[in-house]
Amino acid sequence: MALYLKFTRRRECLWKDLKKMVLVLALGDLHIPHRAPDLPPKFKSMLVPGKIQHIICTGNLCIKEVHDYLKSLCPDMHVTRGEYDEDSRYLETKTLTIGQFKLGVCHGHQVIPWGDLDSLAMLQRQLDVDILVTGHTHQFKAYKHEGGVVINPGSATGAYSSITYDVNPSFVLMDIDGLRVVVYVYELIDGEVKVDKIDFKKTATTNSAH
Amino acid sequence: MVKKRVPDWLNSSLWSASPSATEDDRLQRYDSKPSTPTPPSPVAPPVPEPPPAVVQEEPPKPEPKESVNNVHDASSDDSAEDISRQAQLLAELSKKVINVRELRRLASQGIPDGAGIRSTVWKLLLGYLPTDRGHWSSELAKKRSQYKHFKEELLMNPSEITRRLGKSTSPDDEPKSEGSGMLSRSEITHGEHPLSLGKTSIWNQFFQDTEIIEQIDRDVKRTHPDMNFFSGDTPSAKTNQDALRNILIVFAKLNPGIRYVQGMNEILAPLFYVFKNDPDEENAASAEADTFFCFVELLSGFRDHFCQQLDNSVVGIRSTITRLSQLLKEHDGELWRHLEITTKVNPQFYAFRWITLLLTQEFNFADSLHIWDTLLSDPEGPQETLLRICCAMLILVRRRLLAGDFTSNLKLLQNYPSTNISHLLYVANKLRAQSTG
Repeated sequence: MALYLKFTRRRECLWKDLKKMVLVLALGDLHIPHRAPDLPPKFKSMLVPGKIQHIICTGNLCIKEVHDYLKSLCPDMHVTRGEYDEDSRYLETKTLTIGQFKLGVCHGHQVIPWGDLDSLAMLQRQLDVDILVTGHTHQFKAYKHEGGVVINPGSATGAYSSITYDVNPSFVLMDIDGLRVVVYVYELIDGEVKVDKIDFKKTATTNSAH
Repeated sequence: MVKKRVPDWLNSSLWSASPSATEDDRLQRYDSKPSTPTPPSPVAPPVPEPPPAVVQEEPPKPEPKESVNNVHDASSDDSAEDISRQAQLLAELSKKVINVRELRRLASQGIPDGAGIRSTVWKLLLGYLPTDRGHWSSELAKKRSQYKHFKEELLMNPSEITRRLGKSTSPDDEPKSEGSGMLSRSEITHGEHPLSLGKTSIWNQFFQDTEIIEQIDRDVKRTHPDMNFFSGDTPSAKTNQDALRNILIVFAKLNPGIRYVQGMNEILAPLFYVFKNDPDEENAASAEADTFFCFVELLSGFRDHFCQQLDNSVVGIRSTITRLSQLLKEHDGELWRHLEITTKVNPQFYAFRWITLLLTQEFNFADSLHIWDTLLSDPEGPQETLLRICCAMLILVRRRLLAGDFTSNLKLLQNYPSTNISHLLYVANKLRAQSTG
């Protein structure tokens, strides 16, 4: 059904097409108020309610006000616990399904060495997800291995990390459409918002991660 | 020059809007015309099937009939006049080159429901079909494919648009499907990203349109909730609703100046209903495309009523309502004075809906189709005809209006009582003769 329709060039355009678009915001490591006062204004002006269907937050918000603000952008929010989060009810890891993709979320401070891609790949296989969203390093990364894709949206406020002070604010917006994901990377470099995109497809096999 | 006396023809007993008379009349869709002005026309022109020698007025039979959902049942008490008109219409339609003036003349007396020709006649009257029969198939094919093209272009979400653009620029879609490594980042084209706030951004436009699309969706779901054709859970009702939605969305996107305004769905509904119920299957299948173009054509004369900025201008709704008021003053000064001055019933309270929605909300569905026959076919044009019909509506209930105060008059006009449509259209027609004569 969905697969077949994807590959025919011209098909009857339906009302349902207009509703099908799914945008997922992935961000984290804001460290508000301890390390940063707020999101950069240029980011805040872009993040308006009504455009995004899901929010994935890697953790370290850290306070309830940030949680409420993000919730106002989109009611469907998934948060995992960072080591500085004040709300202890967040889970350590979370998995969810959006469209044809299984996504996993984990803050990443639990995975040692921090930011090591092979260790993260192990976590991904454990969670059995196609896309693993993780944070803690405050550095944007998008890495592909046999098990799937690991995305680190970086720090949305540019807060300093345990490793470095030199952090550019960044976050990620994923456009999930069938078996294809377009990842838009938003970075604030020298006061200007720069947007790049990354395209990848999931192979249509029954196994999720291979 | 203000007439002090009520004109004689108004005093005739025909115009008494007493409930008993109108009730009987209402139960039939085609009442015989009042005896005094028998139009001689059906007898004169040569007709393949000669009507009975004398046009006999059959007494109205008060049998209850379901008016709304069985618009296509052949009425058993069609007068001979209707049969002859139907025959003439069929004759006119079967000619190689159709004489539109003749068609207008015939159609303005009403198009018989049973013949299934309303769809074709309306398309001709709205200029969708050319007068030369030979060109019909090519014209239709052209327009239908144009509509299909519109839909494909306009009903795509930005995610798909970027994917199609991406495919055309980089056919090599599989750079590294095996192996691991950092995923390569590519530049975005024209600063197009989902959170873009740029005016030309397709994403931004899409999100701005979402509001309108939601409004259209809501209105479509509320259109004619009493009719199975439009509402309910049946798959056909859903397809019909989808068609209405698509048409309105395409219209809104192609007309950024006016977009969508509540009420357009009501004007669209009769058109789509008639075209979808075309006995010819091919036409019925392409009803959506045909309806779109006819809707554009019909709305072109009334667009300015929907534009809020034009409300107070010469072409806006207020000016049209003033024209109605003037028309009433001209033909029935006493009633006008009573309404506007004595009881202070501002015409905006009732005429706004009458005029903007082309009377679709004031009568039941079958009656409004009948009114639209006249509206679309009158050579004076739909705007003028509409005003005359509204004026006639006021005159027909003049007794009750003259006896009423603000509250009762407003109540009456906002819930206009069922009436014999042929009477109404006859009076409206008479109003034209009066103003030129």
